Amino acid sequence: MAERRPPDQVMRLSRLGALHQCRLSFMRQLTRRMATEGWTFHRQAFDVDANGVGHAVYCATGPERSYSLVAFAHDLPPEKRSDRVIADAWDATFALFDGVPTQEDLDRLARNVPLQEAGRISDRELSLSRANRSVRLWAHVVDRLAAGQQPDAAEIDAVGYLMRTTAVYGSGKFGAADREQIADRPEMQAPFQAEMLSVYLTRWFVRDLVNHMARQQGVGRAATLAPDLARKLGIGNSTGLGMAPFLINHPVLFNNWILTREEALARVRALPRASVQERDVFRTIYARATGLVARWRSDHPIQQRKLAALRTDLRALDTRLAADDLSGPTPWDALIRWSETALSEEGQELLVSLVLEPYPDLVDGLGCCMADSAPEAFQIDGSMTVGTVQDLLRDSFGWALELDWSRRQANARAWYVSAEKQEPRLGERYEEPISAYEQPLAPARDAAACFATLDGLAPDTPIADVLSAHPQHRHTIRRAQISARAPYGEIRDNTIGADVLPIDMLRAKLSFFGATHFDPRSDRWVRISMYGNAPYPDELTPANADLWVYPEAAP
Amino acid sequence: MTLSLNEIDAQAKRAARGAGYSWGMAEEAGKAARWLCAQGLDGVSVLAQALTRDGTALTRGVAMADRAVRLHDEPATLMDVPCPALVLPFAAMAARQLRAGVSVDLDSALAVTDGDRLQLSGPLPDHAACVRVTLGGALSTPVPRLGRASPTPEAWATLTRLAALTYAPATDESRLRGAGAGLSDND
Repeated sequence: MAERRPPDQVMRLSRLGALHQCRLSFMRQLTRRMATEGWTFHRQAFDVDANGVGHAVYCATGPERSYSLVAFAHDLPPEKRSDRVIADAWDATFALFDGVPTQEDLDRLARNVPLQEAGRISDRELSLSRANRSVRLWAHVVDRLAAGQQPDAAEIDAVGYLMRTTAVYGSGKFGAADREQIADRPEMQAPFQAEMLSVYLTRWFVRDLVNHMARQQGVGRAATLAPDLARKLGIGNSTGLGMAPFLINHPVLFNNWILTREEALARVRALPRASVQERDVFRTIYARATGLVARWRSDHPIQQRKLAALRTDLRALDTRLAADDLSGPTPWDALIRWSETALSEEGQELLVSLVLEPYPDLVDGLGCCMADSAPEAFQIDGSMTVGTVQDLLRDSFGWALELDWSRRQANARAWYVSAEKQEPRLGERYEEPISAYEQPLAPARDAAACFATLDGLAPDTPIADVLSAHPQHRHTIRRAQISARAPYGEIRDNTIGADVLPIDMLRAKLSFFGATHFDPRSDRWVRISMYGNAPYPDELTPANADLWVYPEAAP
Repeated sequence: MTLSLNEIDAQAKRAARGAGYSWGMAEEAGKAARWLCAQGLDGVSVLAQALTRDGTALTRGVAMADRAVRLHDEPATLMDVPCPALVLPFAAMAARQLRAGVSVDLDSALAVTDGDRLQLSGPLPDHAACVRVTLGGALSTPVPRLGRASPTPEAWATLTRLAALTYAPATDESRLRGAGAGLSDND
């Protein structure tokens, strides 16, 4: 019986920064559900003028309810186009409406959604988002279609999307409905389903918009984007530092994501044999996954090194799989054990995701365990003893207790929130005046400080006594108690060290969304692709709802 | 215009931090304001008053919840409490932890909570000579729960002002480096 991999192995930043999408990813959970339940989709409005200005409404209807993407298209001057959160105008803006909007709703949203953070939405909206065009690919596709031709497939592969979202806000942000309002609905129970639906419908809108703009430009002779080329297009996303604090601020939720994937892996590793059919599924998906890796490009040296290692890993895997037909005992466990010495973390984590693929019956049911349904974890048990809290701190942060936290190298950075746009940033503690504004995003350092305070006390002292005398340790003691039930909730690395790479945290989160093509643009923001190769709503069937993420091998 | 409870929680937490509380205490303030608003009470005004005048209800409420198990032995008595409504969310925490009803006598008002819901009789005072938290009590007519909050503009402005104290003033360097400028974002 294979055990779950220990948190000490899994929760290191370098490994979290090498995670890949898998069967449990939120996009795949959504498309599987919509196909299985026979959701229907229709375009209720598309009122966009020759300059690309107007609005559109796309409705998705499940067994009990409808959800509508309300999209606003804008004519954005090029100098205003920025992916940064400090931008105040975009090529397109969106809200996901809970139900089907009336004209009154649309009027209200038209006054607010284009303003994004500067506007207000209501509890009828589940998300707020915006997107910018890929300037290069947009122009290429419109020009070609307007001339009656299809765009170049290589150009499409090189960029991967016509528009990229630059923020998708949910969970009560800017007035939107709280998560609690929808968490009981089966289709919204898994994390981020509203946001994933919003992006899925956005991709449909973008296909319609590019065809529309081509018809405006090439009146009477424009071609419609061919389905096979449209399929290649995902929705890009630019993600910055806002996502990194999220993982630290939601330890139960993060634990549930990681724990679920680790449990799925443990179940598969425990299988005594793999059937011929299961082995065939694995080999087919493996071959398709190599195609996904082949198309993955990045200009950033960090990711280029990781990609080079991943490509070497795939060659090693090819060799291994040529020699091993996986018919032996506990084949998946053997393969994973082999990978831990033979492959880089990129390759190891890709393999973890791939060995889950033949086993929907073992894996997919775990998807519903990924939400945070334990609000009571917040509550501190003051009767716990100092000794028990110290044991918990040692479990998650034993490595951090040995570190000399007074060294500049160890605490070179500080997380803070900017007055300008209330966005999280990461600064240089010794070079910028930010220490006074530091956010509590260094759990390891704080654990070491708390541990030192507790060290001087009798182990059977109730922690309530410490909380009264040392309120500065309260958040750390809370986290320690949470870790007792959420062993994968803490990142076991220094989040303020001189060498921390915030993109590792972004990647971990985005991999659970189901993102691919991670392309860091610096050490703290990353571009990705969502829904690349997925069927559009009018193409979605149970047969294509799941494995779309892996491109079919070229004929 | 109504606010989501998430917005209340987040702003209350930042405001408490801005008022000088530790992060852990600020988290409690956020959850407390949220809980009060969910019961239809003006949690934002209560917290704004506590943060600007006298926050002992927050620290003593938290300390009472931290020692919830002691309620098995004897009631908790807090003397001379400004903004005593702020004790209620922590009585609710104690109720959840002990999986039992908890009653709170605040001079002019009597509250009973099972952690999730609240029953209230009598007007909540601005100041209580004595707040007595007792294990026991059942709810027959709890107040309706709300999913949104409508704080008064003044109280919300107070939280907003305090929250702003936690934001670092922008510099060109932070704009560029802190948010991670890198390769072009307009291509």
